[in-house]
Amino acid sequence: MDSWLIAMMLGGSIFLGGLALIAFLWAVKSGQFDDEEKFLNAVKFDGEDELNDAANQEAKKEKLKREYRPE
Amino acid sequence: MSNKIACTHCHLEFNEDVMIKDGEHYFCCNGCQGVYHLLSDEGLNSFYDKAGDVKLSPPTKQYEDSSNFNAPAFYDRFVKTNDDGFSEVSLIIEGIHCSACVWLNEKALHKMDGVIEANINFTNNKAHIVWADNILKLSQIIDMIRAIGYNAYPYDSALQESHANKERKDYYLRMAVAIFASMNIMWIAVAQYAGYFSGMSQNIKTVLNVAEWILSTPVLFYSGWIFFRGAYYGMKTKVVNMDILVATGASLTYLYSMYITISKSGEAYFDSVTMIITFVLIGKFLEVLSKKSVADTLDVIGKHIPSEVNVVIDGNVVICKLSDVKVGDIILVSSGEKVLLDGEIIKGEGSFDESNLTGESEPVYKKVTDEVISGTISIDADIEFRASKDFEHSTLSNLVQLLESAIGKKPKIEQLANKLSEYFSTAILLLAFITFIVWWAWPHDFETAFIVGISVIVIACPCALALATPVASLVGLSLGAKNGILFKEAAQLETMAKVDTLVLDKTGTITQGKPKVVNEIIYEEFDKELLYSLAKSSKHPVSVGIAEYLNSDDTNYSTIVFDELNQQQALGVSAQMNELELLGGNYKLMKENGVEVEYVSDKTLYFFAINKKLLAVYELSDKIKDGALNLIKELKLKNIETIMLTGDNKNAALSVADELGIEKFYYEQTPEDKSNYIAKLHEDKRTVVMVGDGVNDVLALALADIGIVMGSGSDIAVDIGDVVLLNDSLVSLASAFKISRTTYGLIKQNLGISLVYNGITIPLAMAGLIIPLIAAISMSVSSLLVVGNSMRINWQWKR
Repeated sequence: MDSWLIAMMLGGSIFLGGLALIAFLWAVKSGQFDDEEKFLNAVKFDGEDELNDAANQEAKKEKLKREYRPE
Repeated sequence: MSNKIACTHCHLEFNEDVMIKDGEHYFCCNGCQGVYHLLSDEGLNSFYDKAGDVKLSPPTKQYEDSSNFNAPAFYDRFVKTNDDGFSEVSLIIEGIHCSACVWLNEKALHKMDGVIEANINFTNNKAHIVWADNILKLSQIIDMIRAIGYNAYPYDSALQESHANKERKDYYLRMAVAIFASMNIMWIAVAQYAGYFSGMSQNIKTVLNVAEWILSTPVLFYSGWIFFRGAYYGMKTKVVNMDILVATGASLTYLYSMYITISKSGEAYFDSVTMIITFVLIGKFLEVLSKKSVADTLDVIGKHIPSEVNVVIDGNVVICKLSDVKVGDIILVSSGEKVLLDGEIIKGEGSFDESNLTGESEPVYKKVTDEVISGTISIDADIEFRASKDFEHSTLSNLVQLLESAIGKKPKIEQLANKLSEYFSTAILLLAFITFIVWWAWPHDFETAFIVGISVIVIACPCALALATPVASLVGLSLGAKNGILFKEAAQLETMAKVDTLVLDKTGTITQGKPKVVNEIIYEEFDKELLYSLAKSSKHPVSVGIAEYLNSDDTNYSTIVFDELNQQQALGVSAQMNELELLGGNYKLMKENGVEVEYVSDKTLYFFAINKKLLAVYELSDKIKDGALNLIKELKLKNIETIMLTGDNKNAALSVADELGIEKFYYEQTPEDKSNYIAKLHEDKRTVVMVGDGVNDVLALALADIGIVMGSGSDIAVDIGDVVLLNDSLVSLASAFKISRTTYGLIKQNLGISLVYNGITIPLAMAGLIIPLIAAISMSVSSLLVVGNSMRINWQWKR
């Protein structure tokens, strides 16, 4: 067995694992686990409409951020 | 009887004939109908599918005008501006029953122009809203929430709360990285150890080393950052702490392993780097979990004092800032309000609750020309008084200042583990250095000497030492919680185990604090409903005690409405109904009304008479709580001296002390007396537990090494106290002592285990006999031993 094979497999799995870790860290940082009840309930209300609403809200936020001039 | 129909909005069921019919829908009230139509118009109808059959509260409440939410003073207090210039507010939303309610509120707010973020926490109903203030105002947001059938009011998102959460989250993140990396490194280490015995080519070894290197780098620099920071502060204050040991150990090992990896010879120890950091970090995290922040305590004092008073100026009542009131101003206090300034009554009379200052629940009757004292509460008095001092010099403000200084003076007893770790860290660093010098001087090359020196630090890894105290404390805290004892900080368990003096308050702590009926004498049968209604009509503790007593035999008395009811100050209550003249009160009331009474007792008496004929006498007294006698006895066996301090008079103190066998007691103590006494005990090098319940004990509670508070005590006392007895029972107090001593014993055992482990392995490491595998295994085993030993106590206690 060549060592490059091991290196590739190890590298690949550490990279993928690292991606998962980063996703997890991001989720914790952005407060997605702060409210476990809501986090679980969100599954019940998941659907196309919800995704659209979320996207619209995000767009609205960006737009306001660009335009907003606090006095 | 007609059918019951559920309201389309709130799902509460009513008879069909009282419902409002609207097309195919039925509504119980206009409010529900309004909300339903609003939701249909906004396209939020799917709320009803999501809510299912959950019953909501109908939106029937009328709210005051919401425009006062736009007042600058209000904005100053509750609305913050974030970095982007948007406004932020924290609200508590009332009326949330289910997750669909959360959904609805968020959706409705998101639909509003200008709302950027609306995030509602389902568990505590707290909402965090971000909006652009030039597009809409806070009042509109609150109006929207009210319009869809909920109510919202702002709260001060206490900075401390979010600060503590932030620190915890920071630890979560660091631990997530450390645990992820060490789990992966363990797999790689298995391969390495297998190769160590069966032989492995240098190339593969290097690959494994590089992989470990990559994984351990974020652990050392991100997760381990806390230790570098701690080490820096330790060096600044010239204290060799555990952080220095961890930081030097981990970084030296890391550097050495780097050298090994690059030079392609020998064994790398990256796994040790991550393991040390991960274990010690977990130990630190457990400590953070069980820590109470000092800022929290200081903040509560201000929280309990209203900032405004009603001042009478030229016959008009004006709301005035507390600090603006001058000597000579006339202040209006209504029943139920707190007196915030000292002064002399010029109009009105009534009873005052002075328990804040004296600890006694018996109300004090005051009339014109009597002095009112700040910090007391008007029970039923509507009075006007002339302020004789401004707030800064008032009794209340004086008390607050004393309290602040008492919190600052609270002694901090150093924890055993901290004391130990200082010596331990110094010793290990010295030993490692000596080992290195000896090996180098005794002809070995630099490399070998360096490895052996490092292996001493690695093997002495303070994992077990770092886990010893937090794990044991956690077991102690959970044992406490199961027994209704809330320790606010883990370190208090250790302090409490070292206590040699117990100071008890009397009223509300040893006794129940409320008069209870101990004897009932009935001269002639009568309708108890009459007595119950009469007793119920007064808030006087004796009347409350009578009503409670009548209620205790599970009879459901209905409250009769009397034709005429007269509260007679400091006497009792008289009432008129049909032909009956009812009297309920003390001896004086009976005498004044010409009722013949012969009964004499040293306890509080309550007489009941109808038409001037005495029908019943009740004897009331403040009962001693169950378990008090046992507690005092147990503490005597443990050589803890018990002292009683009470604001009550000599006789009351004497009778309780006699009954319980308390040898030392002091009576007629003011709050300052109590705290001075604690300070005196401290001068005698005593470690003191103070147990109390009222505001009058707060100073002493703050100053004592451990302040234990009854859960039903006043809010401020509960906030100040270090330990809260949730069930108010003295049996819990006894278990609190037991638990703290068990935990302290456990801490000592755990520290012993880790020291014995080090005693065996360090000489081996100094002799150069430790191989990486043994180092890794022994590290885990010692940590497991410590955790296992702590669990053992948990099981033992269960049995």
